[in-house]
Amino acid sequence: MTTASRSFDWRGLVLPGLLLAAWATVTAAHWVDTRLIVPPAGVLRTALRSLADPSFHLGVLFSVARDLSGFALGALGGVALGTLLGVSRRADRLIGPTFHTVRQIALFAWLPLLSSWLGYGELSKLVFIALSALYPVALGTFEGVRQITASQAEVARVYGFDRRQLLFRLILPAASPQIATGLSLGLVYAWVATIGSEFLLANWGHGLGNIVIKGRAAFDVELIVFGMVVIGLVGTLLNRVAARLEARALHWRRVAT
Amino acid sequence: MQAATSSSHPIAPAAAAGGPAVRAWIAVAGRWAAGLVLPALLFGLWLAAVRGQWAPEQILPSPALVWQSFTELWQSGELQDHLAISASRVAWGLLIGGGAGLLLGFAMGLSATVRAYVRPTFDVVAQFPVLGWVPLLIIFAGIDEALKVSAISIAVVVPVAVNTLAGIANIPHTQVEVARVYRFKLGQVLRHVVLPASAPSLFNGLRQATMQAWLTLVFVELLASSEGIGYLMVWGRQLGQLDLVVVGMLLIGAVGVSLDVLLRRAESALLGWRRVAF
Amino acid sequence: MKRRTFSAALGALALTPPAAFAQDKPPVIRIGFPNAGTGGRPLGGGSYTANAHHLRAIDEEFKADGIRVEWKFFPGAGPALNESLANGLVDFGFGHGDLPVLVGRSTGLKHKVIASSGRGGDSYFVVPAASSAKTIAELKGKRIATFKGTASQLTLNRWFEKFGLNDKDFRVISLDSDSTLAALSTGDIDGTVRAPFDLEARGVARRIHEILDDPYITRPGTVWVSDAFEARFPQIVQRVVTRLVKVAHWSTLDANRERQYQLWATSGTPYVDYKATWDRARDLRDRLNPLLDTYYTASIQRSIDEVKKYKLVRRDVSIDGWLEPKYLQNALKELKLEDWWPQQDADGKTVVPGRKLA
Repeated sequence: MTTASRSFDWRGLVLPGLLLAAWATVTAAHWVDTRLIVPPAGVLRTALRSLADPSFHLGVLFSVARDLSGFALGALGGVALGTLLGVSRRADRLIGPTFHTVRQIALFAWLPLLSSWLGYGELSKLVFIALSALYPVALGTFEGVRQITASQAEVARVYGFDRRQLLFRLILPAASPQIATGLSLGLVYAWVATIGSEFLLANWGHGLGNIVIKGRAAFDVELIVFGMVVIGLVGTLLNRVAARLEARALHWRRVAT
Repeated sequence: MQAATSSSHPIAPAAAAGGPAVRAWIAVAGRWAAGLVLPALLFGLWLAAVRGQWAPEQILPSPALVWQSFTELWQSGELQDHLAISASRVAWGLLIGGGAGLLLGFAMGLSATVRAYVRPTFDVVAQFPVLGWVPLLIIFAGIDEALKVSAISIAVVVPVAVNTLAGIANIPHTQVEVARVYRFKLGQVLRHVVLPASAPSLFNGLRQATMQAWLTLVFVELLASSEGIGYLMVWGRQLGQLDLVVVGMLLIGAVGVSLDVLLRRAESALLGWRRVAF
Repeated sequence: MKRRTFSAALGALALTPPAAFAQDKPPVIRIGFPNAGTGGRPLGGGSYTANAHHLRAIDEEFKADGIRVEWKFFPGAGPALNESLANGLVDFGFGHGDLPVLVGRSTGLKHKVIASSGRGGDSYFVVPAASSAKTIAELKGKRIATFKGTASQLTLNRWFEKFGLNDKDFRVISLDSDSTLAALSTGDIDGTVRAPFDLEARGVARRIHEILDDPYITRPGTVWVSDAFEARFPQIVQRVVTRLVKVAHWSTLDANRERQYQLWATSGTPYVDYKATWDRARDLRDRLNPLLDTYYTASIQRSIDEVKKYKLVRRDVSIDGWLEPKYLQNALKELKLEDWWPQQDADGKTVVPGRKLA
């Protein structure tokens, strides 16, 4: 956990700074094929052009909206499922094997079937994104519930917690580190799924993925790079938000380093 | 699940014959039966859907057709070839990406300096969905093995590093203090404090990494390949033979399950000492 | 039913004017193209069916009836169009390639062929600019790109056959059009079948072979209507076909040639490619031909033999009962264009030339 939270740690900029400098040098000196490894100035130009374009902002908005709705669905389902599997031995025996087996089917393997059934529109994308978020969240919740020690549960029994109190006062808080990790990962996966579904289920709608596809089609490597950067930035932003929520949920837990 | 519990029933029945042994066997059988209930229900649903034509036959293949295609491909050896190629790609990716991820995670977790320099960049780059890299990777690495292995490696680095980092971050402060009091050397700190406390997260990371590896493999093989399981699915889809798609999915699932079971066995062997509530 | 009542009923039927058959109208007509422009944009080119979209001809036709027209473009190409039909999401297919339409038929899709979307053209084999290969034989064992499941897959096989090779001699990779372009530019594939003009102009690739005006290497495209739609709205189908033939006629007029190139270029394929490949057709009627003549049926039969040979379908496909030429014939008659287009025999030779132009 960072100690001085107010002062900005400049050391974090060293690595990207070095990389940027290397990039600029290599392209300026033409040590590489500049059609493929485009100079940063070109990316900047494309960036400014895109930022002035309202359809670009619309695309970003659409993608983020898809991501968040899918994530919300998947996360809710994930916490519910993970808690169920972690708490109830019976549920774990009935559903667990299937859950863990189906989880092994790489999600993109579902896409051909999913798009055959649900088409190339919003529904299949949303379902896919929710699925992507569900598994890490469920897994994290499951792990978290599982590692609640017997002694902690005994304390709850002593206090005579009812079901609801058990859930909200013991289980979820005790499992919260793992749940938070799961949510954080789920957010990452949801964003991956959003972009991936926009790539594979391209339907000329609005979205960041579509913007990159257009860049590919036009062989506009600068647009591809810029698109990547934006995809990364949005993802980072989402994760920062998640991390902050995670930290707030854990403020009572002291950590080692 | 059963891995972390020490109160589970013995797998092998006790030497003493009679009541306890029979009960043990019944328990094991019962557990298997319970696990199969849901799949059986789903299979029944599939059969009903095909019989009742809930979806057109072009997009809902019948179990019989899936089985037939599976056996045909297995007998001709094609399935094994595709599997082998896909598996080797994943293996390389896990090796390269997993190694890099562990190194990165430990470095960032244990050293505040490294964290200060690297973490911000890592955070940003980790958010790049591997898929975002793929258009660029295609341009730089081509569409052959290099693309697949590099894409998988990139996909694996993130969950491994993130979970390693989380595992280290969640080490209870008290344990580290104890280690400091006892003046542990780095090696001892790693062995006695860091690894045991972060092991669950590490395994979590490895599990996530495997999932990510397959995910990326399928994606890249769907995009550009001439052999592999993903290619099999593309081939099936392009020729309206969705049963091949299902065969591919089942195969991917089967391999994933085997890997998962292996990981679980390893985890239970290493973490069996923990008592858990549920 | 008793005989007397039956014939009485029949008599009553015969006397009922056709308009009394309360034929409900569809709220929407859904037309699907087995392709999309670059980047997946919903625009097409290279056919009179694409013109029907550009000119919004079908929309115009049904505006007064209050029927909406939905145009669907599928970046997933022919196979995606098949899926859409399987899901009941499309009524017409404008210009389906031989392989996907046959695959669809073999998996039990129910549609009827009502016209052809065009025929002929040239085929070119290109390699990356940096490649030193001069013949296809030199590329043995190398990576060749095609979009599997689409007509291009069969076209590639025909190329191989023409040079005494087959697809097992190469590593055939499935890539869509945009990916193929990228792969050519970076040299990640060693060859593909594609129009070379823009590629050569930009120094990306060069052609090593060309097959010009070969009636065996190309196949006519297919316009179909789903059985379900045709059964319910035969009159609508007739009007669609008639409008299409009108557009086809417009397309074959030399005066409209340049306009078409411009319209097609909006799909993303460069103008220079269209101009170079289509200027070779001095009479546009040779290519923009909707007839279901002997050449069409013989070509489709040849494709049926091919898909069987390459084991691309699991059930036998037959052309019997598939064609429904009456709509086309009615349209030609109504528009007085029965003699407009040339009719060709099974080998692509003209047996009945098109109407002499003034």
